[in-house]
Amino acid sequence: MARMKFLCDADRCIECNACVTACKNENEVPWGINRRRVVTINDGKPGERSISMACMHCTDAPCQAVCPVNCFYTTADGVVLHSKDLCIGCGYCFYACPFGAPQYPKVGNFGSRGKMDKCTYCAGGPEADGSKEEYEKYGANRLAEGKLPLCAEMCSTKSLLAGDGEIIAQIYKERVMKRGYGSGAWGWKTAYRESIES
Amino acid sequence: MASLSRLIRLAVGALAFLLLVSAGPVPANAQQVNPTASSVKEQQLLQELNRIQGRITIPDQRAGVLEQPAGRDWREFRNVTLRWIGGIAILGMIGVIVIFYLTRGMVRLESGRSGRTIVRFNAFERFTHWMTATCFIILAISGLNITFGRPLLLPLIGFEAFSEWSQWAKYAHNYLSFPFTLGVILIFLTWIAGNIPNKVDVEWVKRGGGLFGHDHPPAYRFNAGQKAIYWIVVIGGGLVAATGYTLMFPFYLSGIEGMQIAQIVHSIVAVLFVAAMLAHIYIGTIGMEGAFEGMGTGTVDVNWAREHHALWLDGQNARPGGAGSQSAAQPAE
Amino acid sequence: MLIKRTHQRSDRRGSVAETLAGQGGGLDRRTFLRKSGLAGGALAALGAMPVGSVRKAEAAVAGPLAAGATVKKGVCTHCAVGCTVTAEVLNGVWIGQEPSWDSPINRGSHCAKGASVRELVHSDRRLRYPMKLVNGQWTRVSWDTAVNEIGDKLLQVREKSGSDSVYWLGSAKMTNEGSYLFRKLGAFWGTNNTDHQARICHSTTVTGVANTWGYGAMTNSINDMRNSKTMLFIGSNAAEAHPVGMQHMLASKEINKANFIVFDPRMTRTAAHATEYVRIRPGTDIPVLYGMMWHILKNGWEDKEFIAQRVYGFEDLRKEVEKWNPQETERVTGVPGAQLERVAKMFATQKPATIIWCMGQTQHTVGTANVRASCIALLMTGNVGKSGTGANILRGHDNVQGATDVGLDIVTLPFYYGLAEGAWKHWSRVWEVDYDYLVSRFDDKKLMETPGIPLTRWFDAALLPKADVAQKDNVKAVFVQGHASNSITRIPESLKGLKALELLVIADPHPTTWASLAVEAGRKDGVYILPVATQFECVGSRVASNRSMQWAEQIVKPVFESKDDLEVIYLMAKKFGFADKMFKNIKVTNNLPVAEDVLREINRGSWSTGYCGQSPERIKAHMKNQHKFDLVTMRAPKDDPEVGGDYYGLPWPCWGSPEVRHPGSPLLYNTNLHVMDGGGAFRPRFGIEREEKLADGTTRKVSLLADKSYSKGSEIEDGYPEFTLASLKKLGWDTDLTEAEMATIKKVNPANPDAVSWSLDLSGGIQRVALKHGCVPYGNGKARMNAFGLPDPIPVHREPIYTPRVDLVEKYPTLPDAKQFRLPNIGFSVQKAAVEKGIAKQFPLILSSGRLVEYEGGGEETRTNPWLAELQQDMFIEISPADAADRGIKDGGWVWVSGAENNSRARMKALVTERVGKGVAWMPFHFGGWFGGADLRKNYPAGADPIVLGESANTITSYGYDPATGMQEPKVTLCQIVAA
Repeated sequence: MARMKFLCDADRCIECNACVTACKNENEVPWGINRRRVVTINDGKPGERSISMACMHCTDAPCQAVCPVNCFYTTADGVVLHSKDLCIGCGYCFYACPFGAPQYPKVGNFGSRGKMDKCTYCAGGPEADGSKEEYEKYGANRLAEGKLPLCAEMCSTKSLLAGDGEIIAQIYKERVMKRGYGSGAWGWKTAYRESIES
Repeated sequence: MASLSRLIRLAVGALAFLLLVSAGPVPANAQQVNPTASSVKEQQLLQELNRIQGRITIPDQRAGVLEQPAGRDWREFRNVTLRWIGGIAILGMIGVIVIFYLTRGMVRLESGRSGRTIVRFNAFERFTHWMTATCFIILAISGLNITFGRPLLLPLIGFEAFSEWSQWAKYAHNYLSFPFTLGVILIFLTWIAGNIPNKVDVEWVKRGGGLFGHDHPPAYRFNAGQKAIYWIVVIGGGLVAATGYTLMFPFYLSGIEGMQIAQIVHSIVAVLFVAAMLAHIYIGTIGMEGAFEGMGTGTVDVNWAREHHALWLDGQNARPGGAGSQSAAQPAE
Repeated sequence: MLIKRTHQRSDRRGSVAETLAGQGGGLDRRTFLRKSGLAGGALAALGAMPVGSVRKAEAAVAGPLAAGATVKKGVCTHCAVGCTVTAEVLNGVWIGQEPSWDSPINRGSHCAKGASVRELVHSDRRLRYPMKLVNGQWTRVSWDTAVNEIGDKLLQVREKSGSDSVYWLGSAKMTNEGSYLFRKLGAFWGTNNTDHQARICHSTTVTGVANTWGYGAMTNSINDMRNSKTMLFIGSNAAEAHPVGMQHMLASKEINKANFIVFDPRMTRTAAHATEYVRIRPGTDIPVLYGMMWHILKNGWEDKEFIAQRVYGFEDLRKEVEKWNPQETERVTGVPGAQLERVAKMFATQKPATIIWCMGQTQHTVGTANVRASCIALLMTGNVGKSGTGANILRGHDNVQGATDVGLDIVTLPFYYGLAEGAWKHWSRVWEVDYDYLVSRFDDKKLMETPGIPLTRWFDAALLPKADVAQKDNVKAVFVQGHASNSITRIPESLKGLKALELLVIADPHPTTWASLAVEAGRKDGVYILPVATQFECVGSRVASNRSMQWAEQIVKPVFESKDDLEVIYLMAKKFGFADKMFKNIKVTNNLPVAEDVLREINRGSWSTGYCGQSPERIKAHMKNQHKFDLVTMRAPKDDPEVGGDYYGLPWPCWGSPEVRHPGSPLLYNTNLHVMDGGGAFRPRFGIEREEKLADGTTRKVSLLADKSYSKGSEIEDGYPEFTLASLKKLGWDTDLTEAEMATIKKVNPANPDAVSWSLDLSGGIQRVALKHGCVPYGNGKARMNAFGLPDPIPVHREPIYTPRVDLVEKYPTLPDAKQFRLPNIGFSVQKAAVEKGIAKQFPLILSSGRLVEYEGGGEETRTNPWLAELQQDMFIEISPADAADRGIKDGGWVWVSGAENNSRARMKALVTERVGKGVAWMPFHFGGWFGGADLRKNYPAGADPIVLGESANTITSYGYDPATGMQEPKVTLCQIVAA
């Protein structure tokens, strides 16, 4: 089985936010929930870089480890998913997540985070693949249709790569080799405990 | 005053100057810029600050934190350290109590009951105590569930039931925090007077509070042990409340690191609090004859008062009207 | 709860955000979609997966959700890159977007806008039905009532004030068919006051570039930039304005190790990827280009052979360049000589090199001269007419190139035929309508042949004393179909114009700031809003920046009571009583003209620009066979039965009739190819020779035809003029014409058939014969460095009207006041007064404006799309840390920005950033719906207000118009900023 990962090539990312709206579009993500976002480091200064970030689907995922109700699971593809039926909205995954991935809809007046929502790698949730229930709770399940997450598929500059970790790492390495520079596979060391050096 | 404002002006001026220098004239700072050659590097940023933060267009500025690997340290604390601390504190306390009970047994009223009672806690005090106590117990159980439920309870009752229970436990934890906090505040205000440590407490502590043997070190209304509980409740309660609200209202008070620290403080204080309260509950119930009545009915036997709070009883007797079941309409000084 | 605080903090806008969050939009929407019997999913058969897609075959169990969806191909409506949009439709509901892997232009990619276009159609904030302002209240009316009342009022205005008193403002958002019919409507109505967005984005490009070498369009393509070795961005922020184009540009940077040089006052997202970033003072493009050329000439890096063969006026230019030595250049632009020399060397010696520009160059009082300077730099180094070179002018709207070509313009009839009698006669033949009838529609024949009023000045035309407006009367009514008002400068004055009008008609999917500002101006009646469909609900062709034409299918039917652009135009024509004449050769079903028929009429008349070969059938075949076109050359294999040998989208000029099967011209003026393979030469459009005065007082005649340069396979191995029947006869090629062709030629000009040219010959015979002999129908001439006829034949630097460098105004003043486009242009007086009044002291910061990736144009449409609106919720102004510190302004804090005219002021948030240098501030121009600090949300019809409102940049912008085109000046003015 493949091990699905994301890789944002910051030397390509232009902060066009296509990944963000593609995600909203494909999964009908409501206002205020940002499964994916683009952050610009050193804005306006030489060396400025933008990076698109969402759940990195970590190896030995911290969210999964700290969840008090154990609602996370990792699929055979290495995608970290969770069950909204089990989630109690405690916010612990948010404290543990290195990437700020978990999002909580506002429900009630105070103190009540709704069920956590996060990037599913366009792989839905525990319900049957492609079912209405799955779509309503988690959004699309493209992986089950043999497609990759729409954010990466629609990336304007092919900066955001999705797919098997070894393959996208290889693509990135070849790019770096060819062009002679690369600011690194952002988040890989934290998420997968590996870094890509060319 | 004048010199101070001059100083401030000077400082502001210097700062502005520095900014000007760093910004430079419009084009001059633009020379030789090759943005590609000098791009930021992830590892370097992480080494510098242990977090990476940038600009983001959505108003939710917390999303500007790209990476905060500190989450890993927090995870270690939550899943390992806290469980050890909590386990040792709570199980340890239970162990101590059991051993103590087995060796010492219930502390008896040595002089037996006099049959005369004296008001120790009025209705308001008791209400405050029990409101806080009830909340505390639920908060403690629901809180412990977050830390220990997954390894201990979940395997027993399964995912759905455990989630269902935890969901309600979370609601209870969140909502009962308000009466609990109110209780802590009322406790603080109501009993502050009797809980200022004084010389008597030193003597009391030196004599081990009379826990061992048949000693009865004198005490005012609250002995040093009770004062310790009071301060644990006030300070511990204050801390769990403050940190709890930080967690409950994320980003109002702090960023993600702050919340991690808040959770660490909250959970450590909470498990120690639970341990302390176990001792309090023990001594207030099966640990000491005649103690529960004070918070149960509000009155205690005069002999109990004499043995455990001699100085307080003296004080009560010295008041106009003396000691009597009807007399102490207002709480002691 | 996590998001609550954010909303509370977000001030007034918070209420909207709160409402939206409260609705839990997404979940409701998911439920809605489920009820439509669907969700997510798609056809697994969409083919080509990107590298790294691993789990393809085994999991093609696309679930019950995908079943039954059909796939439609449209074209993104948000910029001119021309991305294909792949839509999945089920039961008439657009349920999902998929990457368009097959398109050679976007290869699956989108930007934030393209990835969210689905929402535009299903937005619940769209206009639902026609409305009319009655006593200050928006009231629902029927289409019939609206068309009747509007028509009656327009006819009444026409009766009283003449046909020119109605201003027809069209749109680059319309298809070719729509914008063509809109222009035709103007012609039948009897006015040249028909304009669209090209006026405010690339009118200066069209004029400047066409005056240099023949056609005013992007010479190459974004894909072709993959061949470049040096890319010079000057006035383009492609990363935000053309993000998908960046894919190809970055590929060039990475694969070719191309130099990626960005000249910009701002360190933009594009500059962040540059190999060299040059910060210039806004408005100094010409000096910086001349500064570069100074180094090129000094070091002999120019392409001498190219100049000798294909360029006119080099010596005149040299004199001007010599003034711009490094000292003077640095004094004016701020760019040090060493850096400029380095860049000049890269540009001139590491070839092929291209210059990329957008509104950074065009939106200036010197816009035409700016783009001319860029063209000159390319000519000097021989960087035109080859792959990897050229003027890669990135257009803004999805069909702004097409709308310009089809003549939705004030200076010409369709396809640049101009307004002279010959042009009108040509079109009367194409339209099969009496020339005299057309003349009778105008106030007089002179006005029929006089350029109209630029849209930048519609309010001046409404407000100036009648005597100052060179037509029968002031503008009394504006019919605007698909154009924002907040993208036009000097909003405080346009407010007065809105008040003065007798009638305002807004035909748009959204009410736009025309509506909210009209109410703000105090109007109580005389305003109509007609709901028009988005292009995703229409069918038709649109032309991308690289001149490729693409056919978009109708994805879903027009929503609510919206109508197709074409239907609206037809209804108006019907009301005016000339529909039968106007649609003589166009089939109309249920009031909707058939787009294919319109395109065929365009084919029949567009010989001058080569839209003649682009039949609907050919264009549709291209959309169907997208995957066959090469990524770099954009050409299909020669042996393909449907599109063999064609370039993608048949980029114009696509010569001859469709049967000639010309493949299109991906690179203009390319002599390395046979003309039937897309080759060409510079167009001799300005005569074939010119008399020059020499220093000693004598004169000499200089040829304007190419010298020993010709396209591959040309039977004439030298320069030659345009083809006419006479020139065919001279060459003995007239015998190649068929009888039918000859008959048509004789019909075109019975009196003098010999004078019939390649562009007037309705048979296409002259073109066919020229092509057969390897010749370019328009001739083979020289490009002009000296564009005699323009206000500045050789570009010269002129300080902006409002400049902080008052010390330079005396040496580099703007052009004298003059009457242009029926109106006075008093730029010189304004500049003089500003210097005398010390405006630069009161308003010390340069204010520039530009684009955000999330929004487009005036932004009403995109600010109504929650997926985009969420990303940019507040109008802001960028200010440098130094300027902010001086003013006590904090990042994210509120500020008041005040402008140099009309006591204008605007309230917005500060974005303190080093993107801008000290002394420069920058605003995005997409916001609207606030004015002078007041929120105008209440002025919109209920439920049709955009999610995000904000101050318009153009509230602060000021006077200044390019003399050659009427282009406004939103890129340089002065302002002051204080903390609010």
